[in-house]
Amino acid sequence: MAGQSPPLSKQPSLDTEKVLPKWLEPLFLLAPAGIWLGLLLVIPTLLIFELSLVPNIRPGQVVNPSGLDNYALIFDDIYQKVVLRSLSFAVSTTFFCLLLGFPVAYWIALIVSKRWQNLVLLGFVLPLWTSSLLRSYAWITILRPTGVVNSVITLLSSMTHLTLPPLDILNREPAVLIGMTYSLLPYMVLILYASLEKLDRRLLEAAADLGATPVQTFLKVTVPQTLPGIAAGSLLVFITCLGDFVNPELLGGASSMTVARLIYNQFLGATRNWGFGSALSMILILAVSIAIALLIKYGDAVPKK
Amino acid sequence: MSGCGWTLAEVRPVQAGKGKSDELSLYTWTNYVDPPLVEAFTTQTGIRVTYDIFNSNEIMLATFQAGKGSAYSILYPSDYKVEEMIELGFLSELDHTRIDGLSNILPQFQNSAYDPGNRHSIPISWGTTGLIYDADRLNPGPEDWSFLWENLDKLERRITLLDDVREVMGATLRSLGHSYNSTNPQQIKQAYERLVTLKPAVASFNTDAWKEQLLAGDLVLAMVYSADAVRLTKDNPDRNLKYVIPKSGTSLWSDTIVMPKTAPNPEAAYAWINYMLQPSVAAQITQRQYFATPNQAAYDQLPAPLRNNTSLFPPDEILANSERISPIDPKILALYERYWTLLTSS
Amino acid sequence: MSQTAIQNQRSTATDTEFDVELRKVYKVFNGETAVRGVDLGIRRGEFFSILGPSGCGKTTTLRLIAGFETPSTGEILIQGQRVSNVPSYRRPVNTVFQSYALFNHLTVWDNIAFGLRLKKRSKAEIQNRVDEVLKLVKMETFAKRFPVQLSGGQQQRIALARALVNRPAVVLLDEPLGALDLKLRKEMQVELSNLHQELGLTFVMVTHDQEEALSLSDRIAVMNHGKVEQIGSPSQIYECPQTPFVADFIGDTNLLHGKVEGAHPEMLWIVTDKGLRIKVKRAGDGHEPTSGSAVISIRPEKIHFSLTPPSDAVNCFEGRLQTVMYLGTHMHYLVELVSGDQITIMQPNVMHNPPSVETPIYVSWSPLDCLALSTN
Ligand SMILES: Nc1ncnc2c1ncn2[C@@H]1O[C@H](COP(=O)(O)OP(=O)(O)OP(=O)(O)O)[C@@H](O)[C@H]1O
Ligand SMILES: [Mg+2]
Repeated sequence: MAGQSPPLSKQPSLDTEKVLPKWLEPLFLLAPAGIWLGLLLVIPTLLIFELSLVPNIRPGQVVNPSGLDNYALIFDDIYQKVVLRSLSFAVSTTFFCLLLGFPVAYWIALIVSKRWQNLVLLGFVLPLWTSSLLRSYAWITILRPTGVVNSVITLLSSMTHLTLPPLDILNREPAVLIGMTYSLLPYMVLILYASLEKLDRRLLEAAADLGATPVQTFLKVTVPQTLPGIAAGSLLVFITCLGDFVNPELLGGASSMTVARLIYNQFLGATRNWGFGSALSMILILAVSIAIALLIKYGDAVPKK
Repeated sequence: MSGCGWTLAEVRPVQAGKGKSDELSLYTWTNYVDPPLVEAFTTQTGIRVTYDIFNSNEIMLATFQAGKGSAYSILYPSDYKVEEMIELGFLSELDHTRIDGLSNILPQFQNSAYDPGNRHSIPISWGTTGLIYDADRLNPGPEDWSFLWENLDKLERRITLLDDVREVMGATLRSLGHSYNSTNPQQIKQAYERLVTLKPAVASFNTDAWKEQLLAGDLVLAMVYSADAVRLTKDNPDRNLKYVIPKSGTSLWSDTIVMPKTAPNPEAAYAWINYMLQPSVAAQITQRQYFATPNQAAYDQLPAPLRNNTSLFPPDEILANSERISPIDPKILALYERYWTLLTSS
Repeated sequence: MSQTAIQNQRSTATDTEFDVELRKVYKVFNGETAVRGVDLGIRRGEFFSILGPSGCGKTTTLRLIAGFETPSTGEILIQGQRVSNVPSYRRPVNTVFQSYALFNHLTVWDNIAFGLRLKKRSKAEIQNRVDEVLKLVKMETFAKRFPVQLSGGQQQRIALARALVNRPAVVLLDEPLGALDLKLRKEMQVELSNLHQELGLTFVMVTHDQEEALSLSDRIAVMNHGKVEQIGSPSQIYECPQTPFVADFIGDTNLLHGKVEGAHPEMLWIVTDKGLRIKVKRAGDGHEPTSGSAVISIRPEKIHFSLTPPSDAVNCFEGRLQTVMYLGTHMHYLVELVSGDQITIMQPNVMHNPPSVETPIYVSWSPLDCLALSTN
């Protein structure tokens, strides 16, 4: 931990006026952050880890770590399916956020005049100021069989005398994807915007000058130049989706068990097994940590070597 | 952090009687909240009441165990939860000499399997599990559980089931002619397989959200608790909502009041228990919240339409068919839960 | 119209001697006119410079040719073809940007190969041409580096190589040496000149360094406030400026304002505002004023001075030495004439003991060595 970094220098300090030895100083500066991290992150994570080593533990039982049985459970077919579904939700949402977010961010950063940029950006980020629960509920009222979308379809059917099929996707996977994409799109747009805004437009002209069509310029210059932003945005969306509980729970109905819902069920739901829930949590924490480590390592600006 | 030996979610008993003498803190169900009742209690006893609410037994116990438990003098667990909490040693034994009106409780509620002799809990309401449906959209309506499987084509993603392993698995076991509390792995598997075929009809597993979806017309049918069904029907007289208790039998449940060992104010807790046992108070609860009362004296005070409401007070032959969900061996419960996870994960 | 179409035409199209032509081109940016009515013809194979003070519209002119801006009015022709509707990526021009604009996600080698790859040239051809041009700019050993790992001058050369490797009809250079120190700049000027001769391409270079323009260019256009003031060879620009601005901007000069007093087919007499009567030999190019106000331009190195009154009294005035500046190879004198006019004189550093300040002296110049210009 930060609070226990080794002495930076073994040479005795020549500065006799200082009360503290030189190597202690950084520790003092790091102490608040270290304590904070220790109390709120490290200890709880260790507790979860210890719990994850107890098979079948329920509230009130003595914690007696005894092995990796809970982790072995994860390789069970059902849970594999759940993990796969979570991953595919996260991957698809990331894909859709990128697909929808890039043109929007591009438009705001490079086409909208500087004067309006902040306002337009604000418009896109505004939904973030509402509760995510509220946003999911809004999608329920839109997607439900008697909701906004289907009312419009019915109206259109009656006006055009065509028989348009009703859109019945609430409580199914498409609804979860819509909800997740909607929730995370603003983050994607923000991050991509930050990246595109820094994009040197002269490079776009240089590419055009060398004979690149707009599409080629986009693929060979814009995308590589904004790759750190794309990576950062994608990882953020991916990670958030993996842990998202609200959207699958509210929009997915009986058809979309995810890791986050499974964890919830282990702690507060119908099937309580805190040990297994902890093991699932540890796996999630691990996956997210790896993703963040990748982001820190490769998400940085220009190539170095 | 010690390597081992600590107890998960330990609730340490606090010295009883530590709280302020004129304050009572409750932890109760969302739909039990009834301000006039609370105000009348304060007028009668001078004890001020504060309460927190929960919407599942699991959340209630988890919160209790997470350490907040010592704040409450009265909790409202359901029958099987009472049994679990007694086993965990959380509940204090009630001193019957300090309780008036226990004799008004119907005999079958005085000596229930989950707490014989009401040593730890006082039943305050009971009900059944059944099916509510919109008769304008579903005609004919169900009479038994088997209706669901026979009308799969009409019900595609138009029904909800309770978010509860035992209720859902139990009802299916019942529809197959087995017991709600079956411990036969073969039967449990059979029930699971039957449920899998019902999955296309299930929009979601929930205990509360169905109300609004049924009213909006997104659902045509929901598996619900009788109190919720009766209340929704009464609140929407313009809608053709009907509650049915399946012919082949259903589960019976009761909600109780208990006093945890950590209760800060046992005096007030006893006052509350005695207040809730007053026939007029119990009758009011039934009239306003549509919970069936286990209190004979209260029942006698109810207006005839309520007394004859078979959704609320089902006839004896249905009750004879029905079962109380009882705790089962953890190994078998694990099997239930495994199938439940399979069902909800597929 | 594809780029190859234009290139093919290059060998056959002989109907015009110009590679680039601008006809009455205007460019207005939200109310601000950056380019006003520019007419230019840049000949095939020529080293052409656009020279002018900061903000006069040089970069804008270049961007109009490259296709990054569209003219508000007027038209642009490249190799005889109107390019109004040709996007920049189809124009047979390549630009060396003022700021280099190298792709920092690509190596030096890939930067240079960028254009050739887009044109789907064979691997072998790309390899050969990139290696060749790297040699040309003396950067062979840097092929695998990224732009951030290069010095400014090295980046400059890569930017040049990236444009040249495509062998465009026209190379546009926007202050290509602007960021370099004096010594490197001199070296690069020589290299640029050599490259131009070796490749035989048309170079259009923007600069505000007059020395650079004078030493490298075949012809120069001097711009001011979005207008072309004069186009001509370096010596024409220097020796025969047609406007006071050009006279002043190119090299040093003494400008004296006055009125035409008398005009003769061979000579003009002009009286300055402070009363000097100056005789000017007419150049006969039609730019001189024959009446009304006029400006006289006299180059400092064309002025003589002596301590005694010279025998020939034409354009000879008495004054007092005010400052003497030692410039190494040259001496710089500031003289205040009796009339009150101030005159700068530049003399090679040949005198052993130059006159001291406050010495009364006589300055003079030949009517051949001064120019009369219209004021507008
Ligand atoms: N995109 C633009 N929007 C508005 N005004 C512009 C734009 N580009 C150039 N201008 C204006 O046009 C005028 C000419 O600019 P230009 O860049 O052509 O000058 P320049 O001669 O290249 O100057 P420098 O030597 O400083 O590079 C300037 O006044 C500038 O402010
Ligand atoms: Mg410029």
